[in-house]
Amino acid sequence: MFAAVLLPNFRLQAALRFREELHEKPVAISDEDEAKTGLLEVSEAAERMGVRPGISSPQALARCPQLTLLTRSRPQERAAQAALLEIATAFSPAVEATADGYCTVSLQASRDKDWPALAGRMVEALAALRLSAQVGLGPNPDLAFLAARHARPTLVVQSPGAFLARLAIHELDPPPELLAVLQDWGIHHLGQLTSLPRGELMDRLGPEAARLWERAAGRTERPLRLVQPTEEFVEAYEFEREIDTVEPVLFLLRRFLDQLALRLGNVGRVAGRMTLTLALANGGAHERSFTVPSPTAAVDVLFRIVHTHLEGLRLEHCATGLQLRIEPALAERQQFQLFESPLRDPNRFGETLGRLAALVGPEQVGAVEALDTHQPGILRLQPPRFHEITRGAPLADDLAVGLPLLRYRPAVSAQVHLVLHRLISIVSEKARGAIREALGPFRASGGWWESDRWATEEWDIALESGGLYRLARAGHEWRVEGSYDVPAVAGGEPAAAGEEPGHAALQNLIPLPLADLKSPPG
Amino acid sequence: MSAVAIDSWAALPEALPGEPAIRLEPPEGLDLPEATQERLSHLRRLLAEKYPAAERKPGGILPTGLAPVDAVEGGLRRAALTELSGGSGAGALFIHAMLRAVSREKCLAALVDAARSFEPEGCAPSALTRLLVVLCEDPAQAVKAVDLLLRDGNLSLVLLDLQAAPLREIRRIHASAWHRLQRLVEQTSSALVVLTPQPMVEGARVRIALNAQWTLSAQRRWRHGLLAEMAARVFPRHCAALNGAAGGATGGALDAADWHNRKESVSA
Repeated sequence: MFAAVLLPNFRLQAALRFREELHEKPVAISDEDEAKTGLLEVSEAAERMGVRPGISSPQALARCPQLTLLTRSRPQERAAQAALLEIATAFSPAVEATADGYCTVSLQASRDKDWPALAGRMVEALAALRLSAQVGLGPNPDLAFLAARHARPTLVVQSPGAFLARLAIHELDPPPELLAVLQDWGIHHLGQLTSLPRGELMDRLGPEAARLWERAAGRTERPLRLVQPTEEFVEAYEFEREIDTVEPVLFLLRRFLDQLALRLGNVGRVAGRMTLTLALANGGAHERSFTVPSPTAAVDVLFRIVHTHLEGLRLEHCATGLQLRIEPALAERQQFQLFESPLRDPNRFGETLGRLAALVGPEQVGAVEALDTHQPGILRLQPPRFHEITRGAPLADDLAVGLPLLRYRPAVSAQVHLVLHRLISIVSEKARGAIREALGPFRASGGWWESDRWATEEWDIALESGGLYRLARAGHEWRVEGSYDVPAVAGGEPAAAGEEPGHAALQNLIPLPLADLKSPPG
Repeated sequence: MSAVAIDSWAALPEALPGEPAIRLEPPEGLDLPEATQERLSHLRRLLAEKYPAAERKPGGILPTGLAPVDAVEGGLRRAALTELSGGSGAGALFIHAMLRAVSREKCLAALVDAARSFEPEGCAPSALTRLLVVLCEDPAQAVKAVDLLLRDGNLSLVLLDLQAAPLREIRRIHASAWHRLQRLVEQTSSALVVLTPQPMVEGARVRIALNAQWTLSAQRRWRHGLLAEMAARVFPRHCAALNGAAGGATGGALDAADWHNRKESVSA
């Protein structure tokens, strides 16, 4: 047994999937690239008003002024076709993508022999994806197709002879010349055609007539050209006008996710990564990918992830289109406690990361990235991978030496007075005064084999007035890199970085002759 | 604890470390009339409805690995805001110690840095993999980031580092913001530590003052040795209720011996 799954008015259905408000209204669809072909498909309401496929748009509007004219959307058609194949694959692995909006399924190996119920389930599954289908079942693919054409919405052909006999010959789409001859002979139905002897018909009208006779008799057999669904989970929409607020985008995204979650469920997958693309009025696009920390098909979780991003998004141009692509992943199955992630709710954490990124900027939040360089002062953050941490990671011994540095970002420019290469005093925004003690220089360099070479000399200094700082020299430039311990100012308050030094601290400044405030040689 | 009179139950704000939370239950062996029991159960229901947070059990303790701090309460209180003040060197050492503690406890932490001053140099890689760093432009933004992290509830420790931020900007943070953070952290099992140059966080449940004077010789010593040298005084809130009028609302400074003495006196 074969099943033919047909989406009538496929292009129109694809365009109207997310436009329920137009479902009952006169709508027609045309192709911008092939304007001469006229309207491609029209809705039932439009047909009742006299609008027919093939007529031009002005003619259609003359017949029905309320007509809504839509342009064919290929991304939406691809999404609908992918959904059709996914549903078909859920019933049998042997699926042929016969045409756009039409597939043939081999049910030879199906254990479920309740054909009407099976056809009904196919229709229901497609209806959940906002696609109206007609399903026909027959002993061969061609019969199944003919049954699908006449299905309302399902039809199972139990006795092919009786079913075919009633059908008009043009249902088989014969060549026009052959059809004209047969009609001249007074043969209008397939039953009349099959009553003629096949051999004599071929002698008179050629092999084309013989093939038509075989199809009319329901005896054709052909192998299916099987396809494997690409598991492409994409939904797209092109706005009719430019969108400058986030609400319509969110409204559509919610619907996209409803549909995509259903489709993922049909193939036993969950969302591992999402990519949101907003087409912009200037011809550009805004694209952002989101990794789902704990892959899921829960619509609320996925929606919160994209919602969080859009909340803080500011674009210079209006949006003209929207696309959401989901990369599927296998649902995680793990034994609890043994390999459990330290995150209680990874998806909520992902959402929080999104909010933090919106607050401070995406580069300012994350886990410290280990870099392949010894260059001091580089702090790069990357998305944390807490869900990948195993609980059994051992803690290494604490081999750190000295006080941790509070680094000034950016480093503060300084003027240093030296006598015989000995650091005497410093003047800078953060630290100033006589230098009591210094450790160094500690020299480091790197990248000499590349264009971004670096070299630095560092000292740890203690000021007479208190406070430990790190001082660095690169070339002729001195900088205070950070502090190890900040001195207390008048009143017993510790001086925070960026705070103006107290009166007492200013009193301690050593007046330095301008001539002495020079950089050291080389 | 059973010897405490019924009218003083409500005056006891929280349990001592290692003891169960104090609940409004009649002492053992006290046979109350049925009508009284009914009124008591009604009262319990009313209290539970009006103050749901009061019904929660204490959030527990997160050991810090710093002997002076752990000796008093066993570590940092979870579900509570702790303010830590002192010199910037001591604060940075405390952050280093907490990263090791997080790695040891196999939990996760966040460091919200209000002055972008965090330097991972010297931190163990295993500790850094468990740390989320948020670099903020100013203290106000940092408070918002902490708000988000506490609402998330996935992290066991949130450190808000205001040490290197200008004092005038820290003072601009309204007291209500600190109270809001305290209310938020109460609903989680996270520990929130705010590192400030001087005590200024209203509503902190515990205040820790770190004290250390460093010289350049510290740069030649093991960091764990420096940590061991650091002196800390812990000021738990509400400890006045356990020991008469001394200390006022914020209590007095306690070291480990003080704490155990007070505990003994209450039990007696």
